[in-house]
Amino acid sequence: MTMGKFLVRRILQGVFVIWGVITIMFGLRAVSPGDPATLMLGEGATQELIEHVREQEGLNEPIYVQYFDYLQGMVIGDFGYSWRSNRQVEAMVIERVPATLELAIAATIVAIVIAIPLGVISATRRNEPSDYGATLFSLLGISTPNFWLGLMLILLLGVWAGLFPTGRRPVGFAEAVTTLVQHGSVYDLGIWLKYITLPAITLGTYFTALITRLTRSGMVDELGKPYVTASKAKGLPSVLVRYKHVLRNTMIPIITVLGLQMGTLMGGAVITETVFNWPGLGLRLIDALDARDWPLMQGIVVFIAIAFVSINIVVDALYSYLNPQVREE
Amino acid sequence: MTEDILQVRGLSTRFFTQEGQVNAVSDLDLTIERGEVFGIVGESGSGKSVTARSIMDLIEPPGEITEGEIRYRNADFAETVGDDHPGAVDGEFVNLLELPPAIRQSLRGTSFSMIFQDPESSFNPTLTVGEQLAEAVEVQRRASARPRSTRARTESEEYSLGSLMLSTVLPSKKYVSDESRERAIELLELVGIPDPVERADEYPHEYSGGMLQRAMIAQALAGEPDILVADEPTTALDVTIQAQVLDLLDDLQKETGMTILLITHNLGVIARMCDRVGVMYAGEIVERGSLTDTFDEHVHPYTEGLLGSVPDLEGANRRLQPIPGNVPTLLDHEMEDRCHFADRCPKAMEDCLDHPPEFDADERGDHEVRCVLAERDYDEGRALPPDYFDETERTAADKHADPDRTEEDVQPERTQSPVEDSGGGGL
Repeated sequence: MTMGKFLVRRILQGVFVIWGVITIMFGLRAVSPGDPATLMLGEGATQELIEHVREQEGLNEPIYVQYFDYLQGMVIGDFGYSWRSNRQVEAMVIERVPATLELAIAATIVAIVIAIPLGVISATRRNEPSDYGATLFSLLGISTPNFWLGLMLILLLGVWAGLFPTGRRPVGFAEAVTTLVQHGSVYDLGIWLKYITLPAITLGTYFTALITRLTRSGMVDELGKPYVTASKAKGLPSVLVRYKHVLRNTMIPIITVLGLQMGTLMGGAVITETVFNWPGLGLRLIDALDARDWPLMQGIVVFIAIAFVSINIVVDALYSYLNPQVREE
Repeated sequence: MTEDILQVRGLSTRFFTQEGQVNAVSDLDLTIERGEVFGIVGESGSGKSVTARSIMDLIEPPGEITEGEIRYRNADFAETVGDDHPGAVDGEFVNLLELPPAIRQSLRGTSFSMIFQDPESSFNPTLTVGEQLAEAVEVQRRASARPRSTRARTESEEYSLGSLMLSTVLPSKKYVSDESRERAIELLELVGIPDPVERADEYPHEYSGGMLQRAMIAQALAGEPDILVADEPTTALDVTIQAQVLDLLDDLQKETGMTILLITHNLGVIARMCDRVGVMYAGEIVERGSLTDTFDEHVHPYTEGLLGSVPDLEGANRRLQPIPGNVPTLLDHEMEDRCHFADRCPKAMEDCLDHPPEFDADERGDHEVRCVLAERDYDEGRALPPDYFDETERTAADKHADPDRTEEDVQPERTQSPVEDSGGGGL
């Protein structure tokens, strides 16, 4: 069917994009200075040992052979070994996914819960104080840098007010849920919530501001359309005009942005994770970058690319489900 | 027996824009009888649609109805609102402008209904046509289920945001009931849409323009309204479909006996459909009367101009005569207190520099004209020179600062002509 065709096409496109990311990453590694074997072994390794590692890792092969070896590994899910810790890259990536995912979802929830009502209020009470307040909030939210906001939250709410803990979190969501199931205790869940609040606000603020703006402008736009007047003319209660018709149509493009933003949050939490020492992918990426741990870096970047592309496909499918005009084509 | 169902008295609707106050409708009078088709005709920007929307209470900021009365005759309704709003009720008539918005809203769909110019954009693209029709049916169903009291009309059954949120999990809380859906299918059938059961589940973009306009008519009829306001119902359609839609409206009107207020710029549509006509210009009705009054015995030069700009098949060689100039901007500070058509009028006289009241054009009392020609014949001697308004426009800015000077500028030409043609006619 059309939907199947659409998905197949999008997946093929996605594969192409991921191949591009892999290739660019490989190219960067090839042109960046520094001998991998030296990096792996650290200072003071003997020339023989270096030569041995070069041979073992295939670093003496021509570049195209190295490229195809690497690509082949990727296809079968072998991302290689970290140069620093000598652990499998897949494992190192996967173990960090939950923390990042938790943060991304929490930030999205913060954004949705605050932004959509705010946008609706703003659009339906245009040029009233509440609209000005919402507009000011979104302007501040969009122009506040993440790292500064994070530091301020830590300083004000964490250190001075003592409301939230500031160190590395002791439990993840999975452990907290396990405690809940096994011991019936919400204690760990509470701790988890305390630790995730500030990072989620930090990461979600820009996003909240963005969605507020989009909801407001989208809704203002929709409210001016003739079908709104027509719905009023047929006597439909204003609640239904506003929410069943207008908000629903406003949400169609916003869901696209939400989805795309989810992808960005997966990879873009680097700063927030660093500020809060959040044990996610972003922090690991920074560590890998510091150590010039190329296989790990590549692994993380490719993983983020895959996540981004997959979310995009899901969003597109959702969009065409919600918008019957697209569904036809 | 005919009786008035709607009386509009001195209606003024203004828009307060950044460029200034726009007098979209000024001091408009209009009477519609039960069961008739009343047409309003005029150029774009003459205030036809604003009149329709004022009656429907669909004027939104920066627009506002600033003056006037909209009197709707409905004995039951008058009794219902009489307790809470005695000031609005006068016998069987209710002045709608005295009522709070919630009550006016409750009249939409059930007493007044409207069809719009562009059917494609007047349906929500993301809901099926059947669903949207069923909503209109539901409005009516819920309205008739309510006890007859003002409070119940507006408060008791109000569908709240809470109910809407609950409806996502509880089907019983949904606004639209299955009965309404079935009725929607019947309505689609009534307006001649083939396969109404399948069609009800289709989206607006799957319909053709003509079918969608039929669906919109069905939607407007869902509440069995007393008055149907049709705002340019055929303008967006091609000619063959136009005829079908007009036939449909005609048939439905004959069947149900509803009153139609038909707004169009197309004189052909007026001639085909209407019993009585109002010609609008610059926010005013400049001539109103029966179809014969306006088409054959018209007095206002604007009506004459409108009719002259219509091609007809018999006189195919005749050149069309456009009315020179454009509709004025309707900005309050640019409108002078004169006949607003005088600057385009081939028969403008000195008398036209005063704003004319409505004159009775014949003795029968239902043909009203806002033109001095209803009272006296055209007098060339008193005619304004053709470039008169070019000059005043140029000096318009000075005129406010120094009214005497402009007076002098114009004076020589004015005094000259009566001397030459003193016997040329007049009163």
